[in-house]
Amino acid sequence: MDLTQGFGARSGVVGPVTGLESLNFSDEFRHLVATMPPENTGGSFTALLEMPVTQAMELLHFTDSSSSQARTVTGDIAPTTLHPFGALTFPSNSLLLDRAARFSVIATEQNGNISGETANSLQSNSGANLDRVKAEPAETDSMVENQNQNYSSGKRKEREKKVKSSTKKTKSSVESDKLPYVHVRARRGQATDNHSLAERARREKINARMKLLQELVPGCDKIQGTALVLDEIINHVQSLQRQVEMLSMRLAAVNPRVDFNLDSILASENGSLMDGSFNGESYHQLQQWPFDGYHQPEWGREEDHHQANFSMGSATLHPNQVKMEL
Amino acid sequence: MASADKLINTDVPEKDVFAFHFLQSLSNLRKQNPFDTPDQKNYRVRKIKKAAYVSMARAAGGSSRLWSRALLRRAAKDDNKIVRFSRRKRKVTWKISSKRRRSNQRAPVVEEAAERLRNLVPGGGGMETSKLMEETAHYIKCLSMQVKVMQCLVDGLHYNKN
Repeated sequence: MDLTQGFGARSGVVGPVTGLESLNFSDEFRHLVATMPPENTGGSFTALLEMPVTQAMELLHFTDSSSSQARTVTGDIAPTTLHPFGALTFPSNSLLLDRAARFSVIATEQNGNISGETANSLQSNSGANLDRVKAEPAETDSMVENQNQNYSSGKRKEREKKVKSSTKKTKSSVESDKLPYVHVRARRGQATDNHSLAERARREKINARMKLLQELVPGCDKIQGTALVLDEIINHVQSLQRQVEMLSMRLAAVNPRVDFNLDSILASENGSLMDGSFNGESYHQLQQWPFDGYHQPEWGREEDHHQANFSMGSATLHPNQVKMEL
Repeated sequence: MASADKLINTDVPEKDVFAFHFLQSLSNLRKQNPFDTPDQKNYRVRKIKKAAYVSMARAAGGSSRLWSRALLRRAAKDDNKIVRFSRRKRKVTWKISSKRRRSNQRAPVVEEAAERLRNLVPGGGGMETSKLMEETAHYIKCLSMQVKVMQCLVDGLHYNKN
């Protein structure tokens, strides 16, 4: 009753179907409206408005994956309120389910699901796991497959939640970054809801990388505790940067006496320093990496020898010494 | 150098790649300032330092690493004559701010260290913590390589001078 009045007030038209078409209704509603008998407009509209609204709200707030519950809800509501419609129940249901699914997908933050996918999964009862708005204990009992799109790298994470989670947890936790899917198993006695899994996966990623960094930085493997290790890493980076600055100052001091003109060097001493061992290695290495395109490979090879050799005609001891240092 | 982790690639080219790029940049510098500037030594120091970083970024993989890209872009902004950096469309990497509601569980220890790292490592501002650590590992390797090359150079020159 209130709805009809409000509806009438909004639209300004009560009764004839055609007047309603001027309003911006979705296609489904227009379809439903068109097929309705005109004398049932008032009462049936309330029913129409009530049912989809409640159903949509239920579906929106519904975080439970199994659409069986949703189905039962619609099953309960549909025959009672949509009774005058008869044959219209199913198309409206599926259409509204579709739209509600799409709305719910958009409403979720971790929007990795394609709407068609979600609709299909809802209808096929495999369950799309939406983000938690309302925590329901029934959630953890269902078996869910969730696809979350990993934001930066584009990887897809697929997590498996176990049914009756408290009893069937495994002790091992396995994470592999090689595959496009990251399988994370729940450890014994740990929560298995979606966020904890994500957090745990992320923490494991970070810990793996921190181990890598620990190996890099000298003296970090003896330190216990992440905070000190991280401090050590930061100190190491800072010290390296300071070293670069020191060395560049020294180079600048030395620089005016030295002629870095490699063209003339290479032109004049073109074949004098061809050794077997060092040249072979460096040549191979130089061949492998992609070039900028403005120098030939041979120059690179000979530059190594000429590092200390800038004044022409120095002893041949120099290239050997530089070679050994390198 | 065998990295124990095949999943995270932190391979870095050999020393001579770095040496090559650095010497190249130095010779370019030399060509541009034929008479060594009698004014402030700082100017030359800064130039050499910048050349060192740019050559390191180039040697370490050009545009295929986030930090090198950020470094080159930063250098290209200041001085367009020395650094040639072609703009390329790059994939947008963005931090997930939608996960903020669980931020209290993000190990604040790690996060504050990550903040400090972001200030140190070029291009760190737009990375997630795990990606940041990968980049830091690669950056550390490249930095140490560059330091070794420069040390060799300085020693060699010093030896040659005497």
